[in-house]
Amino acid sequence: MNAPIAAKILSLNNIEVVYDHVSLAIKGVSIDVPEGGMVALLGANGAGKSTTLKSISGLLTAERGEVRRGELQFRGQSIGGLMPQDRVKLGIAHVLEGRRVFEHLTPDENLIAASALHSRQDMNRNKDRVYSYFPRLHERRTVASGYLSGGEQQMLAIGRALMTQPKLLMLDEPSLGLAPFLVAEIFQILGRINRDEGLSILLVEQNAIAALEIVSHGYLIESGRIVMHDSAAALKKNPDIQEFYLGGAENKNFRDIKHYSRRKRWLT
Amino acid sequence: MDAISLMESAANGALIGLMYSLVAMGIVLIYKSSSVPNLAQGSMTMLAAYVVLAFANSAGAPIWAAISLAIITMFIIGLAIERVALRRLAGRPIIMILMMTLGLEIFLRAGSMTIWGGTTRPMNLGISDAPLFLGPLLINRAYAFGAVVTIAMFGFFVMFFRSRMGVVLRAISDDYTAAWSVGISVERGVALSWAMSAVVATIAGVLWSSVQGVDQSLAQLLLKGVTVAVLGGLDSIGGALLAGVLLGVVEGIASSVLDPLLGGASRDLVDAAMLILTILIRPHGLFGRHDIERV
Repeated sequence: MNAPIAAKILSLNNIEVVYDHVSLAIKGVSIDVPEGGMVALLGANGAGKSTTLKSISGLLTAERGEVRRGELQFRGQSIGGLMPQDRVKLGIAHVLEGRRVFEHLTPDENLIAASALHSRQDMNRNKDRVYSYFPRLHERRTVASGYLSGGEQQMLAIGRALMTQPKLLMLDEPSLGLAPFLVAEIFQILGRINRDEGLSILLVEQNAIAALEIVSHGYLIESGRIVMHDSAAALKKNPDIQEFYLGGAENKNFRDIKHYSRRKRWLT
Repeated sequence: MDAISLMESAANGALIGLMYSLVAMGIVLIYKSSSVPNLAQGSMTMLAAYVVLAFANSAGAPIWAAISLAIITMFIIGLAIERVALRRLAGRPIIMILMMTLGLEIFLRAGSMTIWGGTTRPMNLGISDAPLFLGPLLINRAYAFGAVVTIAMFGFFVMFFRSRMGVVLRAISDDYTAAWSVGISVERGVALSWAMSAVVATIAGVLWSSVQGVDQSLAQLLLKGVTVAVLGGLDSIGGALLAGVLLGVVEGIASSVLDPLLGGASRDLVDAAMLILTILIRPHGLFGRHDIERV
């Protein structure tokens, strides 16, 4: 693991989060996202992926969570004490799990609401940019967003985040509940934004197969701890990852499956 | 009961109803931008009327100057209520927030009793008592003036909620967390909605006290306000306007028909019946938003 020493846009060092002062949600999580890079955070349900993202965007306080230990740095600046809107101002955008569009607003109004920090000219320019990435949103721009399809809502959630002119885009399970062809389409657009604009992306996913196709680097989180991190290519070859996160080896004959489950070879 | 006097009750009822709408509008403003049902709207209306009198009598300002000063004062009081009482409740269960607004209602009413006492004081806007003639109908000038002001306020807020700031407030009401995630200062938005609502309360307070004088009974406008807001759909400004007219007309006709039989109080019965039936039959009101469920 000798990654070239690129500038880091985001660096988490030993982050520990507790909810309600008692329950420990993540313990000592350390993650680096390089400038312009695309990194995945993989893990099962309840592993602590969303909590990690919320600790970065500052949305923990709304759920009575707090970062109790560790250091959060964005471009070398410590952001642990900032309000969510100040982190957005610095360039951190968080696309929430379950899309969370403003349902009673039209897509156009969703984009307007997300430009609270920008001038009207910036807003119009950003809107054009979002509509060029997601032409379907433009077609549907006057319908209440609650009536959009799941895929369209996900596009809107991403577009809304782009309206804040982020330097780092964090996405929480954008593939959730979407048909595979839509997942492919959305991931392809994310890849394009990453390449064209140099936008750094931190992608949280359960769908490890899809995620490892587009990222360069992946972290694996289990029970609130990072248990493995490596390049995407190496992760895809890892037999444990294949067994537990990529749906097992190919050509598996059900008669040959062992009747006990494979032990993970790391400690959680 | 002849047709003319029935029509007269309906016409005056419609105008009174528009003045109810103004109280309801204050409730809708806060609900539309933070999903909080404000039970303190009645006593905010009452407080505003006392503030106007304080500027007019103690400071000796002319009435229009006193009203302008009161609008500014109430704007600040609205901000203060949000900052002190409600901000720390953000994200808490709605029942706690509801009880907090009820507590505010009682506090303001009791506080005004302590400071200003319970005697009714007049508020004179210089509107003449002589009725307007609309064909054969006699119309109360003060009600007509109130109705015009209400419609002007309605126009203003319809425009406001289409503006960028208005869209931001509607976004906050839809989803606090999502609003935070795109850099909206939720706290500031909610504070602004309270301030605007306090300004609306000032205007409602002035209009109502020109009709019935200034005392604690102004706070009972809460009942009318809540009924109209719920009937109109809690988050719809236009709904509040139409529901106000509807309630006013029904009240006017019902009281002129029923009062001789029941011996008064039929207005409040009509109110209660409207509120209860709305909640039973059409909980989201005439024009309220449905929670969107995709199937």
